[in-house]
Amino acid sequence: MKDVVLRVENLWKSYGTTEVLRGVEFEVRRGEVKVIMGPSGAGKSTLLRCINLLVRPDKGRIELEGDEVFPHPSKSISSIRQKIGFVFQHFNLFMHLTALDNVRIGLIKVKKMPKEEATRKAIEALEMVGIGKELWHKYPAQLSGGQQQRVAIARAIAMEPSIILMDEPTSALDPELVGEVLRVIEKLARNRTTMLIVTHEMGFALRAADEIMIMDNGVIVERGSPEEILRNPKHERTKRFINSILGRVA
Amino acid sequence: MSFMERVIEVVYNYSPMFLEGLKNTLVLTATSFIMGFVFGALIAVGRVYGPRPLRLILASYVELIRGTPMLLQLFLVYYALPRIGIILDPLIAAFLGMGLNSAAYQSEYLRSSIKAVPRGQWEAALSIGMTRWQAITSIVMPIALRSSIPALTNELVYLLKYSSIAYFLTVVELVYAGKIIGAETFAYLEIYTIIAIIYLTLSLIITRTMKNIEKRVMIPGLITPSARM
Repeated sequence: MKDVVLRVENLWKSYGTTEVLRGVEFEVRRGEVKVIMGPSGAGKSTLLRCINLLVRPDKGRIELEGDEVFPHPSKSISSIRQKIGFVFQHFNLFMHLTALDNVRIGLIKVKKMPKEEATRKAIEALEMVGIGKELWHKYPAQLSGGQQQRVAIARAIAMEPSIILMDEPTSALDPELVGEVLRVIEKLARNRTTMLIVTHEMGFALRAADEIMIMDNGVIVERGSPEEILRNPKHERTKRFINSILGRVA
Repeated sequence: MSFMERVIEVVYNYSPMFLEGLKNTLVLTATSFIMGFVFGALIAVGRVYGPRPLRLILASYVELIRGTPMLLQLFLVYYALPRIGIILDPLIAAFLGMGLNSAAYQSEYLRSSIKAVPRGQWEAALSIGMTRWQAITSIVMPIALRSSIPALTNELVYLLKYSSIAYFLTVVELVYAGKIIGAETFAYLEIYTIIAIIYLTLSLIITRTMKNIEKRVMIPGLITPSARM
């Protein structure tokens, strides 16, 4: 049996009187790709943000490779975050840095790598996501959305995290740019990169996910293989949700 | 003798005095701007990221400075400090007073620039494992500083002109130098015209230089107040 990279137990979070997470539980094993789907407001983004402590959960337990992340971090929060890659919906590339520097800065400042080695690693990561030499010295504002998101993925993978969390990585993109980003993520999946991805891309989930979890109202209401979930959902809420996405695509 | 001839004569006879005034004006402007910048940046960072008690102290400082005249602040530094045994050279007292004053104003410009840096930049910095301090120094401040350049240019030009109130602490800056020359020659019109031209030239040079710096460090897609105009 493969080892567990991420374990989330009974996670709760509320904002004021609104309960966003109500006892979420799951684990991700090494090399696994798990996809989370669910209507907006289900708590998907909050869940991801709780895992890397951008948002502090109220209660529960999070473990990364056996080390406690929450409630009592076994290491400094920044050294835990180093091991958790995060890809944002709106890319969030550092606006004052070139593509290359965006990928390199974490290696230099956080990992304290010598500049030449960091550059080599950064270039490797950029090539992995298909960002060619002609774009290395461009600033984010000079790149398309798809290019920006691929640089953001390179920034995450260059740090060699144990797991990468992606929060709707293609939903801010123009439709014609979605494919190039999904192809990169599928490539990572084929290389057995451990990932937890919030997305509504059904086709992608069918091709790349080992398991789909459906979230609604702060809990995981159904989970299973992509085939099971998408072709034969059991839960009424899942059926409605799947139909609404399919309806939107059709 | 024509006006222009008298101007030339005054400049010729009193150039050492004008140069002394110019030197002190420039020294005061530059040192107080730098001091204001360093402390202003610290105040701004403290007010955005610091713990609540620190934020309150810093906010009170800024309000105190902004709510009282700079001349009064200079007098307090120059005349009140000797009471507790600190006797300062007029130039040093003026530099301290102006620097402390400018720190409050510069902190406000920098603070609004820091707050304008999109939240996603901060989150991305933390997500790759940066500490808060690294996120501030490597990501937030480089962006905030770029967009503060137009406001800081204004502050620098203000300081250049307001350095003239060091006159009241007997610092021989440009205006005081003019007063001294005037007492000997009575050519007040000529002298103050010359001084006005010097100030105007300096402020144009400052504005031009800062524009060049702004252009040099500008990043595509970064919006600053002057880029919007």
